[in-house]
Amino acid sequence: MTNERQDFEGHTRKLLEASVDDLDGRIRSRLTQARYRALAELQHPQRASWWQWAPASAVAAVAVLAIALWAGSEYRTSAPVARATTFEDLELLVDNDVFDFVDEAPGADSYEFFEWAAVAADDGVASMGT
Amino acid sequence: MGAFVTLPQAYSMTAAWSGEPHLSERTRETSRALELFLASVERKAFRIAQLALRHEDDALDAVQDAMLQLVRAYSARPAEEWRPLFYRILDNRVLDMQRRRTVRGRIMAWLPVRRADEEGEDPDPIAEAPSHAPSPGDRVEADEAMGALQVALEALPHRQRQAFLLRNFEGLDVAQTAAAMGCSEGSVKTHYFRAVNALRGRLEEHR
Repeated sequence: MTNERQDFEGHTRKLLEASVDDLDGRIRSRLTQARYRALAELQHPQRASWWQWAPASAVAAVAVLAIALWAGSEYRTSAPVARATTFEDLELLVDNDVFDFVDEAPGADSYEFFEWAAVAADDGVASMGT
Repeated sequence: MGAFVTLPQAYSMTAAWSGEPHLSERTRETSRALELFLASVERKAFRIAQLALRHEDDALDAVQDAMLQLVRAYSARPAEEWRPLFYRILDNRVLDMQRRRTVRGRIMAWLPVRRADEEGEDPDPIAEAPSHAPSPGDRVEADEAMGALQVALEALPHRQRQAFLLRNFEGLDVAQTAAAMGCSEGSVKTHYFRAVNALRGRLEEHR
């Protein structure tokens, strides 16, 4: 059993080694190129440095782009609100009804009332301070 | 890289560097040793990768990546460690490629895209070059036996095939094989024993 097994192992080894000897020229050539390329790494190890950072740079670029897009979308969503507020102010200024409402308020015909109210308020604040 | 194809056989990378004063003596020695080591393993490594990946170009890529990784990361390690380290790297690369291929296969199954090499390319003149072949009769017999062995090896589970090829083909001892496979020596013996039994069962008629 052991001899048979050893024969079998020897036979398969020979077959595999023969298959290596029969490798065609293209494969031998490419293996030689691969070996020289690998050995060139010893001579110029720094050549690999620029692309080693490529994945990190790509991630950073994507992060910056994502933040820029997010900030842009925030600006876009807040801008209409500001614009709407401005238009509301303009409408208030232009709208004559608003002034009518002020005119119709009690005491609107008398500036003395507003002066009195302002003085009373100032006095109230002053008395609270003492 | 194409320039290397036309280099004479006597040309050596380390010989070309010998006149360069900026390389230290230690680097030159290391490169000389690495060149010898890589030249001694590259063809067997290719066959091992080819049996696992079943594709020549993928196997060549795997070997090249393993060479680069060894030189980049482990060239400073003692030369005795290179062989198991190299096969460990190669195996990791092969497994990566198999996983990637599985994913790609799932994606490509939905797309009507064909690989460039399936569409036919111009024949490579170097590939067409004759090798030192035996007589046609011997060749046919050897090809049949090797074909059967290849089919049987491809049918083995990955770990069994790895143990068999590293022990029997590459000639690593049990400890080196265990280091290359990243497992215990007992596991190596078990995988190897099962691989031999499975192969003997499948190759009964070729023994």
